[in-house]
Amino acid sequence: MSTIMALSLVLLAVMVLVGGRKGALAFLSLWLNFGCLFLAIVLVSLNFSPIMVALILGILMLALIIFVGQDDLMTTQTAFFAAVLVLLILLVLIVPVEHWAAVQGFGMEDSDELEGLSLLVGVNFVKVSIATAVLSTLGAIAEAAMAISAGLSELIQQHPTIETRALFTAGMHVGQQIIGTTFNTLFFGFFGGFLGLFIWFGDLKYSFGELLNNKVLDAELILVLFSLISVILTVPMTTWVMTKRLQISRKKTA
Amino acid sequence: MGKLKRWWPLLLILVGGLLVLGTRYAAPLYRQSIMQVTASRVTEATKTSDEFKNSDKQYTQYLTGRLLNGQRRGHTVHVKNTYSASGAMDEKYSVGEQVFISHTSKNILIKGLKRDTVMLALLWLAVVLLVVMLHRAGLMALLSVALNLVIFFLAIEIDLARRSDGFLWLFGGLALIFAALTLWLILGPTKQMLITFAATVTGTALSIGLSALVLALTHHNGIYYETMAYVTQVAPQPLFLAATLLGSLGAVMDESTDIVATLFELRDDKPTISALELFQAGRQVGTAIMGPLINVLLLIFIAETMPIALLLLKNGNSWGYTFSMTMSLGMAQSLISGIGIVLAIPVVSFLASRLLVTKAGVSK
Repeated sequence: MSTIMALSLVLLAVMVLVGGRKGALAFLSLWLNFGCLFLAIVLVSLNFSPIMVALILGILMLALIIFVGQDDLMTTQTAFFAAVLVLLILLVLIVPVEHWAAVQGFGMEDSDELEGLSLLVGVNFVKVSIATAVLSTLGAIAEAAMAISAGLSELIQQHPTIETRALFTAGMHVGQQIIGTTFNTLFFGFFGGFLGLFIWFGDLKYSFGELLNNKVLDAELILVLFSLISVILTVPMTTWVMTKRLQISRKKTA
Repeated sequence: MGKLKRWWPLLLILVGGLLVLGTRYAAPLYRQSIMQVTASRVTEATKTSDEFKNSDKQYTQYLTGRLLNGQRRGHTVHVKNTYSASGAMDEKYSVGEQVFISHTSKNILIKGLKRDTVMLALLWLAVVLLVVMLHRAGLMALLSVALNLVIFFLAIEIDLARRSDGFLWLFGGLALIFAALTLWLILGPTKQMLITFAATVTGTALSIGLSALVLALTHHNGIYYETMAYVTQVAPQPLFLAATLLGSLGAVMDESTDIVATLFELRDDKPTISALELFQAGRQVGTAIMGPLINVLLLIFIAETMPIALLLLKNGNSWGYTFSMTMSLGMAQSLISGIGIVLAIPVVSFLASRLLVTKAGVSK
């Protein structure tokens, strides 16, 4: 049996043991997301526009992460709308920055890996770098949006008459509570992957100036910074969407 | 004091902005030669096509630039640059950009774009947003990331000095220090922190142990360690395990912190709550957040492989081969992290429920 298959079975087993039906659904959502990612790459290789592919499949993946296995519609719908809005705002930021930084494709450090491959494949790698940035931040956006939205839904249930201004303050407060740990998820998630790269840089004694301008490192750091920025933006955005929803539903009942 | 509090975000924006602008004039600080492009002329365009029927275009660009540092500062130089429309490993330079160059006896070669301005600008944007929107909590998050970075670099220095002897022990120890420091910064020296720390360590250790067992039992079948990028002196296999350990650590801490915080709140709301009820509540909270958390890591680990996977597909490789060569490691990493994230739920719920409630009643 292949190791990936065996690890999947172990994960499925513990997920079902701990989470029951929800656990099984979470497992399903993980593989569906992987399927979307792979599909995105295949579509780009078939010459579909990388940015359109990332945007459409990105929204689908946000839906998969947020809706699969969760029941509370107030929480999930708010989180989804907010996440999509953040994604769109982020795209406005990602497009110029990726053009400006020109960290697309590969750097000198990748030369070994590229041996024997044709690099002139007719795909715009700047657009691919934009797609990569969009896709790698999705998880962080969805997770933060869910956390804020769940916190606010609970608050609304406990205090149905809460004023919108108080709700906004509460949302920012929840954001302050989660930001530290969310940053750590991202920091470690990325830096685990940097381990080999940093040992390489240290081994070959790169100077600070070389590191700051290094294409491979900058490409990675840009992903980290986009993720951090997306999480920060998610906090007020989710709170805002929740406030608007509350105002609208109150108008209807009034 | 009150005045200072209101003004310091503005001060931060101003100082940061000046720093970003300053990088445009920072060339004298660099030892490598830097030129600013003053004129560009694209002369040749050739259509190319490879054996896989990919068509592309290659251009030759003649650049004129002004040297910004070194003995010949202010002199004008001419450089030739070739780039492709796809730009996988090359790029077009435009007027106003600053680029690193290297002189040989007669030739001048372009080494790459100077990226310090854009990097600092993005960092500045992140810091400003963080501090303006989330105030003190944002600063603390920043502080914890900065401290962890310093420790991370120290560990790498130690590893290089020891020529990677005892690599896994070093980075296992590092993970312990990371967890303790980060949780202490977020929660302070409290009982809550101790429980979260114990759960994080136990959950991560269980998942790494279990996964190492699975890897051994399946003889690492389908895991292509040789595809790991940037491997120098460390054997790929320990490097993979250490990277996975660190990668999952943050997510496990994130989740454990959430669960413990909720259980403390529940206990305070309802002091007579039983240990079993607390355990069930912990499981419920954990189940709701484990899915999104695992997806965060999956997307970080797999999205990055997009350029290389694309290149392999475009070079006529099959889906299966492309997966094995570019994503098998990231997928294994995601699954192992997932196991850790799930196992931490019962561990943290059990620990919290036992330590918060005693048989005689509520503990203090």
